[in-house]
Amino acid sequence: MRSMKMLSLLTVSLLLGGLSLGASAQQKLFVYTSMKESMIGELKTAFVKKHPEIKLDFQSAGAGKLMAKIAAERESGKILADVLWTSEVPDFYQMKSQNLLMQYVPTEIKSLLNPLPDYDGSFTAVRLGTLGIAYNTRLIKEAPKTWADLQKPMFKGAYGIANPALSGTAYMSVAVLSKTFGWSYFEALRANGAKMGKGSGQVVDDTASGDLLASLAVDYITLDKVDKGATLALVYPPEMLVIPSPIAIIKNSPNAEAAKKFVDFVLSKDGQTIIANEGTLPVRADVKIPERYKLPPVDEAVKRAMKIDYQQIMAEKEATIKKFTDIMQK
Amino acid sequence: MSTAKDSRFGTPEILFGLSVAVLVIVVAVPMLLIFFNAFWVDGHFNVADVVKVLRHPETYKALGNSLVLSVGVTITGTIVGTFFAWLVTRTDLPFKKSMKLLFLVPFMLPAFIGALAWKMLLSPRAGYINRFFMDVLGFDGPIFDIYTYAGIILVETMYLFPFVFIQVSGALERMDPTLEESARISGADLFTITRKITIPLVLPSILSGALLIMLYSMAHFGTVAVLGIETGIYNIPTLIYEKIHQSAGSFDSIRTATVLATVLVITAALILWLQNKVLSKGRYQIIAGKSFRPTELKLRGLRVPLFVFCLLYIGFTIVLPTATIFMVGGLKTYGLPFTAENLTLANYNHILFEWDLTRDAIWNSISLGLSSALVTMFAGVVISYVIVKMKVRGKGILEFLGMLPFSVPGSVIALGVILAWSGKFGVNLYNTVWIILLAYIARYMAFSLKANSAALEQVHDSLVEAARASGATMAQALRDIVIPLVRPGMIAAFFLIFLPALRELTVSVLLYGPTTRTIGVAIYTLNEDGETVYSAALAGIALVIIVLGEVLIKRLVTGKNNS
Repeated sequence: MRSMKMLSLLTVSLLLGGLSLGASAQQKLFVYTSMKESMIGELKTAFVKKHPEIKLDFQSAGAGKLMAKIAAERESGKILADVLWTSEVPDFYQMKSQNLLMQYVPTEIKSLLNPLPDYDGSFTAVRLGTLGIAYNTRLIKEAPKTWADLQKPMFKGAYGIANPALSGTAYMSVAVLSKTFGWSYFEALRANGAKMGKGSGQVVDDTASGDLLASLAVDYITLDKVDKGATLALVYPPEMLVIPSPIAIIKNSPNAEAAKKFVDFVLSKDGQTIIANEGTLPVRADVKIPERYKLPPVDEAVKRAMKIDYQQIMAEKEATIKKFTDIMQK
Repeated sequence: MSTAKDSRFGTPEILFGLSVAVLVIVVAVPMLLIFFNAFWVDGHFNVADVVKVLRHPETYKALGNSLVLSVGVTITGTIVGTFFAWLVTRTDLPFKKSMKLLFLVPFMLPAFIGALAWKMLLSPRAGYINRFFMDVLGFDGPIFDIYTYAGIILVETMYLFPFVFIQVSGALERMDPTLEESARISGADLFTITRKITIPLVLPSILSGALLIMLYSMAHFGTVAVLGIETGIYNIPTLIYEKIHQSAGSFDSIRTATVLATVLVITAALILWLQNKVLSKGRYQIIAGKSFRPTELKLRGLRVPLFVFCLLYIGFTIVLPTATIFMVGGLKTYGLPFTAENLTLANYNHILFEWDLTRDAIWNSISLGLSSALVTMFAGVVISYVIVKMKVRGKGILEFLGMLPFSVPGSVIALGVILAWSGKFGVNLYNTVWIILLAYIARYMAFSLKANSAALEQVHDSLVEAARASGATMAQALRDIVIPLVRPGMIAAFFLIFLPALRELTVSVLLYGPTTRTIGVAIYTLNEDGETVYSAALAGIALVIIVLGEVLIKRLVTGKNNS
């Protein structure tokens, strides 16, 4: 009797496990993104409200992890992702050259600002992510003003940069900063005890707790915590890090129609308003950024931005990560 | 219910064949693929690449770290475990019974959750304890930095010492006290008795507990991942994780990981071999039966201080971290002070009812735990039956295959199932819960075999023979005679598997897909992504589920025995 009961329990639990995988009456859509829950969660809610016929799932993780996942999925023959949206721009050029991306020019392309060269619809920038210096206002009274300020004794052993192998924004920042200031910039930081952390959110959280005094920080991640009461401030040195986050549809996606709707949605005025309200720069001129964030306006940010040579950094990606890791773990 | 159909099913050969098939598919194929992939490149045997990986500084640094950490934890854990075991069995410590139970509580707490809590308490600048010393007591610097080898060893010790504690307190209780008494009568003082009689008698238990700690710590992912990565302290499991998750996932990095896995397997095998040597040498038959209560050492003036010390130890290692997890889980954002306006239940609400990621994780862990426990429980009965009761040739293979994963680190099993079940051989389970389930079944089969074999050995063959002689089929005999008798063993197996599976991290962190995070993975990745308060809140919920599970089980098991 008892074992029969257990057997039935087994069947039920296995069945349920199966059901949770196989329920598929709606259109499905899988988005792999490095955007944090605070942003992608909002977008999902709004998107599903607008398109109730589509079941949207997302995987939110660092760009490095997502690419590893996609590579493994390619190896196994089936890419689960329909849409990819990260800040690791070279990955997109790479995937385009490997013919892995579907070309789709968004319906409202005319209203969009395009920071990416060789645009052909393979991927479209959704936001202009900015990275600045987040510092703990409880412990640091005088805000750092330049990138070099972080080499001062005041930040000794307490400045953090996320792991570029994990985080796309960290990777892009390291690539751009090393091109602009040379590797000696990072060597000097390391000499001052700078640390390599884990994800781009984790260094900001460690700054909020005071474990780090400052970190290389993504705009909306920091501002979300500031909104919740964290004693953090975000400042931008004169040479700004402005990193576009492209979105792309994976070629041969069985859910291409739903994917197109999602791409159009995040680039629509509604979608871009949500993105701006999270505290990052939109790619539409008709969307306003909330005052309280004190983000620089888009045109100013683009003007101050350090130049990015995408083709070159794509070729040097592995070497850049290795060089940085070697310096930071010395 | 009892009208079983009379069929040919149940002949020893079929059972044997089925058991072998299950074990080969679940255990042997993945393991073999690891070695195959490590040594076989592009169709031929290749040692040069293996040597290249081994000579990479990363590899031997990781191996060195694994060794340093596990040896450190083994030493401290053995000392702590032996001391407390002696205290609760051989002295007149107050409330010994309850103290003994309390010392087992750390076993329930997943070490990586402990690590998370200690990071919050003892990180050099922001840790609450360090801040208390610096801000309130005016210390110049932190009193302890948790991001160090010492920190990792300390945290692992707190949660692993029960391995030694259980073994040693068991041995001390079973030991024949007349030996010590006769020494005392012959005029030996306590020191001599301890040195010449007690310690030699319990030494095998101490050593086998110590080696269990070492085996576990060697293959442990969570604590090192939480506390070590930022300061560049990594061991082999964290390096495998990095290879799989960060190096763009090319097949090359998977191959590097297989070589690392091989290194880990060899080290584990060495430890087990040592353990076997120790155990076979230390067969002291003198430990037998529970004849008398051993004499208790009067602690006299030390009785109260030692009692307070035990309470402080438990408060410090269990209550403090647990409370920290719950408190941080209630903060609006990490880094705020614990004041009423900063505390909220919103995080718990968000995690339990609103956030797909965490709801999925809780659901996945519970259903994976239940399914793997049920499957291994039933498969374990059948396989142990073949091993213990049947006279078929080659059953040694079964035993070997079943027990193999016990000595194989979790990361290795995970790698094996990736290689076996991600489409290369026609079955693609990658990104699904099934691949995690398969890995869990392989990993926990040994637990089930141990519990079930022990139960089966006590069922005399004559019972089944009598049933068969009276005309019952094999299946009937199994169902009506054997299963009822081994039920306690089966139930034990169930819980031995369900609870660890519920909080598992090392395996699932290498296997999870977008919707198949387990609780452990969700806590870990949230922490990695800087969602510290959410990760703490989820850890708090996980602790509640684990403790509830444990209590429920105790109820069920004792209730069953009484009825």
